[in-house]
Amino acid sequence: MDSIVSFIQILSIVAIPLLVLFIVSYGAIKKVKIYEVFIEGAKEGFNVGVRIIPYLVAMLVAIGVFRTGGAMDILTTILSPVTNLIGMPAEALPMAIMRPLSGSGALGVMSEIIKAHGADSLIGRMVSVMMGSGETTFYVLAVYFGSVSITRTRHAVPAGIIADIASILMSVWVVNLLFK
Amino acid sequence: MLNYIWLTLILIGILTAISLDLYDVSTDRYQTGKKISATVIINNPIIIRERGEKYLCSIRINKQEIKKLYNVNLTEDLIQQADITFIDNNTAYIEIKLDSNSPSIWKEQSKGQQKDGNILHGKIYFEKESDKNFNVQLIVDPVKFVRLNSVTNEGIVKYARTAVELSIGLIGIMTLWLGLMKIAEASGLVQKIAGWLKPITVKLFPDVPADHPAMGAMIMNISANILGLANAATPLGLKAMQELNKLNKKLGTATDAMCTFLVINTSNVQLIPATVIAIRAASGSANPTEILGPVIVATTVSTIVGVITVKLLSKLKIFRKQLEENSK
Repeated sequence: MDSIVSFIQILSIVAIPLLVLFIVSYGAIKKVKIYEVFIEGAKEGFNVGVRIIPYLVAMLVAIGVFRTGGAMDILTTILSPVTNLIGMPAEALPMAIMRPLSGSGALGVMSEIIKAHGADSLIGRMVSVMMGSGETTFYVLAVYFGSVSITRTRHAVPAGIIADIASILMSVWVVNLLFK
Repeated sequence: MLNYIWLTLILIGILTAISLDLYDVSTDRYQTGKKISATVIINNPIIIRERGEKYLCSIRINKQEIKKLYNVNLTEDLIQQADITFIDNNTAYIEIKLDSNSPSIWKEQSKGQQKDGNILHGKIYFEKESDKNFNVQLIVDPVKFVRLNSVTNEGIVKYARTAVELSIGLIGIMTLWLGLMKIAEASGLVQKIAGWLKPITVKLFPDVPADHPAMGAMIMNISANILGLANAATPLGLKAMQELNKLNKKLGTATDAMCTFLVINTSNVQLIPATVIAIRAASGSANPTEILGPVIVATTVSTIVGVITVKLLSKLKIFRKQLEENSK
């Protein structure tokens, strides 16, 4: 297990430089005017960044209002009876709700829980798995759709939320199965 | 869909803040104007107690006093560092520097005072003096609408700034990858990569031609995500979105392929969640990497569920209609 981990860690360090090297030299071998073509493609970069701004501001401010106004805490309280049914400790619920909304928020919740209960407690393991297996769904939605100016997102949002719920349920189930 | 989610978040967020604030005011949660008995110990001997004179000190409050006021149990007396600035011989402004020992109600109040968030403002009235110790009465500056204050200062102003910073921060790496991807396209590399996983991708994205550059970019994005290369994954994903948008007949509306791609992205298979492992290691876990297996299982299942859901939902009439209505 450890050798797999260190292999992947090394891979994640060398992957990007090697990929850059590979793309550039492959282009050169195929007689592409690499510098000119790079510049031509790169020109769009600034526009993409700027195009995302309104989408991300809209999304993050709505999430910010929901978090800071205390609505998040109330939602946690309302949902807490459900957690027992699926075998989730009530303390892990804020993590489950925060994960798709805010990456930094979820990281904060995870650190707090690990500090309070220990990294090797059942709940500590559970929030670690939730953090690792989840994704900041609403950020990804805003950025990806924003970059091509899409406002009518059709079924992407419900499908994304269902996948998030699946990931949380699986995290709870697997951790209970392996570590309880 | 996003319209409703957006409205719900904002509406519930602000209405909750208002009702919590009104409840706090009606129950006098922050004990506005109450006098708190405390002892102030001034580090330097005081020479003059005149207007504007500033001193560093520590303030000590009995734990029974805290219990009586806020109904919070502390294990020992509360001692906090503070700055005081004299108004006249017997009164001074006090700025209490909050730390990890401070009662959480003080932290809420300091946020409501609209200033730094880590400093609690108040006034002290001097009573008795013995050596460097002074008996004082502390009155914390009144706060109203603590929640609405933090909605304004954090929820709105700070998050809006964060959103712009994130977008701007993406420009550099975005520019780099768009340039590199152009080289990869011109040299035929992207099309080649697209060919490798043809049997799977053609099923996942039936509306995208098998050798289209979008396929190559999507495969590269998904691989980068699996390896946890966030720096490359997002730019590659955005590049894929641009390519997919070239196939979009009605701009502004998401195509089936885009929705599928998005869901694969938000539920992505993760081999190595580096941040989580780092935090676990730093918190003294005996085996920080033991969560890898569960993470791989959970992400794989959620990706499968996501893809099945997105395929089923795309057949629903309401979502079909949006696509067809708009393409007239």
